[in-house]
Amino acid sequence: MVFLAKIGVYAFPVVLLVVPMYAWFKGVRVYETFVKGAEEGFQIVLSILPYLVAIFVAISCLRGSGGLDLLSRALGVVLKPLGIPPDILPLLITRPISGSGALAVTGDLLKTYGPDSPMGLLASILQGATDTTFYVVTLYFGSVGVRKTRHALAACLIGDFFGFLTGFLIWRRLVF
Amino acid sequence: MNGVWLFLMIFGCVVALFNGNVDAMMSAVLDGAHDAVQLVISLAGMFCLWVGIEKLAEEAGLIEGLAKLSKPLLNFLFPYVRGHEKAMGAISASIISNVLGLSSQTPLGLRAMTEIKAIYGEREEGIQSMITLVVVNAAGFCMFPSSIIAMRAALGSKDPAVVAGPTAVAGLVATVAGLLAHRFFSNTGRPR
Repeated sequence: MVFLAKIGVYAFPVVLLVVPMYAWFKGVRVYETFVKGAEEGFQIVLSILPYLVAIFVAISCLRGSGGLDLLSRALGVVLKPLGIPPDILPLLITRPISGSGALAVTGDLLKTYGPDSPMGLLASILQGATDTTFYVVTLYFGSVGVRKTRHALAACLIGDFFGFLTGFLIWRRLVF
Repeated sequence: MNGVWLFLMIFGCVVALFNGNVDAMMSAVLDGAHDAVQLVISLAGMFCLWVGIEKLAEEAGLIEGLAKLSKPLLNFLFPYVRGHEKAMGAISASIISNVLGLSSQTPLGLRAMTEIKAIYGEREEGIQSMITLVVVNAAGFCMFPSSIIAMRAALGSKDPAVVAGPTAVAGLVATVAGLLAHRFFSNTGRPR
């Protein structure tokens, strides 16, 4: 398994090595082409800024006001019968809306309980199970200037829910 | 997105007024705006790098090759993009980055969105394909969740990569569930 994790690490330098070399071999003017692409990349970044500000402001508003805690307490009441440990709830709420926030919550849980403890394992699994939905929806649609995202967010959140559920069930199998 | 954004803002403000921590809310909001700009600046270099590399891959014909390789799966997932080699290749590159957990996932994902828009603009087929791509990438099926493995290792885990299997399975389920939900919403034609 550690070997598998290493592939992710080595894929990066391999791509950086192989692509330019192959392009050069194919007679592509590598430097000019790269710069042209980089310029395009910069345009994309600029175009997502307003969308990013909008979503960050809304999420900070919710978090700073204590609304996030309120939501996670409400969720706790709903999820109690399922046997989900209450300490994991902030992670469940944070995971889809804030990538850095979720990583901080996970780091906290791993430090408090230990990475190989049942709680540490559950936090790790749920952290890795899905990506930051709000961020992806905002960025992807923002970059092409499409404001009508229709059911994209709902479909993604349903996906997240089932991802979490699967992660939780696997964890129960693993630990108990 | 309209309703969600409004809900987050209003709910946040109402809770702040009730809890009496308007100051904390205000500074959090300003920090949020600041963080967004900060994030864009920190992303800029990486975006330039990866889109530059992708351009090289495109000119060298690698992206086209990728499109051919991933045709069976992508034709099924993106029926409207069928036959558009450039967009198909871009979609394929972004999904592969995601599965490998590479930092190129966001830049290449946004490039793929641009390619889809280049074909369809904001027409129905385009929006449908865009939602599919967003669902797949937001579910984040990843075989090598490098950030969580690195964190576990740093905190002294005996087997940091043990969670890779479970996260992959959960990510796969999230992807399939998200796609089914997308299909369901498209068919019911919910006005939004």
